[in-house]
Amino acid sequence: MSNKLSSSVPTDREVVLGILNNSEDALNRLYTGHFPMVLQFILNNNGDEDDAKDVYQETIIVLYNKIKSGDFELTSKLKTYIYSVSRRIWLKKLSQQNKKTSNNLSEFEDVIAVEVDVEQHEEKDMQFEKMKTAMLSLGEPCKTIIQDFYMHNLSMQDISEKFGYTNTDNAKTQKYKCLQRLKKLFFQN
Amino acid sequence: MPATIKEAVFSKLMVMRNDIELENLIEDYLNGKLTPAEAQAFEQLRANDQAIDHRVVAHKVFLDSITAYAQQSSLQEQLDHIHETIDVDTLSRKLGPHPSYIVNLWKQNKSALAIAASFILLTCVSIYSVLHNTRQIGSYEMLSRKLGKIENKQDSQNKLIRNIVSNSQSGKPVLSPAKYGGTGFALTTNGYLVTNNHVIDKADSIYVQDSKGASYKVKVVAQFPERDLAILKISDNSFSRLSSLPYKLKRNSAGMGEHVYTLGYPKDDAVLGEGYLSSKTGYGGDTLAYQVDIRVNPGNSGGPLLDNQGNVIGVISARENEMDGATYAIKSKYIMDALGTISQDSLGKIVKTKKRNVLQGLTRTRQIEKIQDYVFMIKVYN
Repeated sequence: MSNKLSSSVPTDREVVLGILNNSEDALNRLYTGHFPMVLQFILNNNGDEDDAKDVYQETIIVLYNKIKSGDFELTSKLKTYIYSVSRRIWLKKLSQQNKKTSNNLSEFEDVIAVEVDVEQHEEKDMQFEKMKTAMLSLGEPCKTIIQDFYMHNLSMQDISEKFGYTNTDNAKTQKYKCLQRLKKLFFQN
Repeated sequence: MPATIKEAVFSKLMVMRNDIELENLIEDYLNGKLTPAEAQAFEQLRANDQAIDHRVVAHKVFLDSITAYAQQSSLQEQLDHIHETIDVDTLSRKLGPHPSYIVNLWKQNKSALAIAASFILLTCVSIYSVLHNTRQIGSYEMLSRKLGKIENKQDSQNKLIRNIVSNSQSGKPVLSPAKYGGTGFALTTNGYLVTNNHVIDKADSIYVQDSKGASYKVKVVAQFPERDLAILKISDNSFSRLSSLPYKLKRNSAGMGEHVYTLGYPKDDAVLGEGYLSSKTGYGGDTLAYQVDIRVNPGNSGGPLLDNQGNVIGVISARENEMDGATYAIKSKYIMDALGTISQDSLGKIVKTKKRNVLQGLTRTRQIEKIQDYVFMIKVYN
């Protein structure tokens, strides 16, 4: 089994370069390559498959952002890094849920120091969650307009056509109103 | 009136229009879509107008967050997409539940199991110790019987050798080989002696021999099998009264660690044994006896046990053959009790219990010199 697994795991350099070049394949192989390890860890520490998915995706996002931000140095194996971050995140989740923390989580130190990375991620994640709640409470059609314009990079022309506005000015006015509401929601929280 | 309303609505619309224009301008500026000239003009405007500058900053923060949000959402989507391609069920069946079920069960019930285990352990230990105790008592009784037998056997062997020697020396026809031997010591000046009951038990005739080699016939006055003591009386006509007894009997019990010695006849001559009192109880916690650390041999039985001041604190009675240097001596208190059962008139001048004894302060050698006339070898024929 281990042979098969390691053959599907790309080398660390491949992954870093691939992510820097926005290679979907690299991300894909990174994700599928290391998931079993984290899954096993979570399952053996009072978690289920969904916990494993959440923790693992957060871990990958941390790694992804770190690589993207350019200050990622390969001081350890990616596998070790992923394991450490997952462990740290899961530990926090467990203590937040106030579940009975199993001993072997707390009894050994981090394999490598990932505390800072995880904390940075948590800050970002807070922003993300804030935006998410703001978006969700925005309501239609504002949400779609904003998403189309800012996230999917549609032009005002496309939007006014999609929503059937008589001219782009109307669309613009509508977008402006929506944006004001979203800003209000976002900065309120 | 209508004109003013229209104007107000219009001006509001204008304001809004202006706002929209401004927002678009800011957005274009932040996205770098302005021409260099326009950008410069805008920066001028921004520097002059605090309100506009504030709006630029706020919008930048907002745009950044929404970009980050967009990126993360798309990444999340991508990851979700990848995740769907993984067969999580098969993996988790392979990696998780089976080993972890028992492990989890153990983890969750660890404390309960620990308590149960320690309880079982405690129970086992206490049951074992109870069983062990009773077993020890059983083997103790057997041991004492065995010990007696061995002692007797050794006694007879020793005695056999001793008699060969004494025969050749004295040549007296009366003395056929004695079967058992022991030691006894005087309690009164007129010939009352004390020894162990097991020394003279079932005897046909008993003789004692003093340190000078003279033999006298004795008769048994009283036997106390439960205390293993016997009182003898020298009935021989040739026996002259002893001078006053040098030692006294100690009535209260002696302390642990006290240096003690004994004089006995494991062979034809008196032998000194020296040691200390090692326990206030005898074999298996027997309160009638002391345990003393003196090497004794068969034949020592019935010998006096004396402390440094020359007080008799006990009568050597037995030893444990399994343990080195574990000898038992019957406490002197019981000698007095035994004497008390005999008619006081016949006893004559009895051993003192209260007065200061003459041995006190003397060296060991001098003490022994004085004592040896009062310690007798006991020969038993049957």
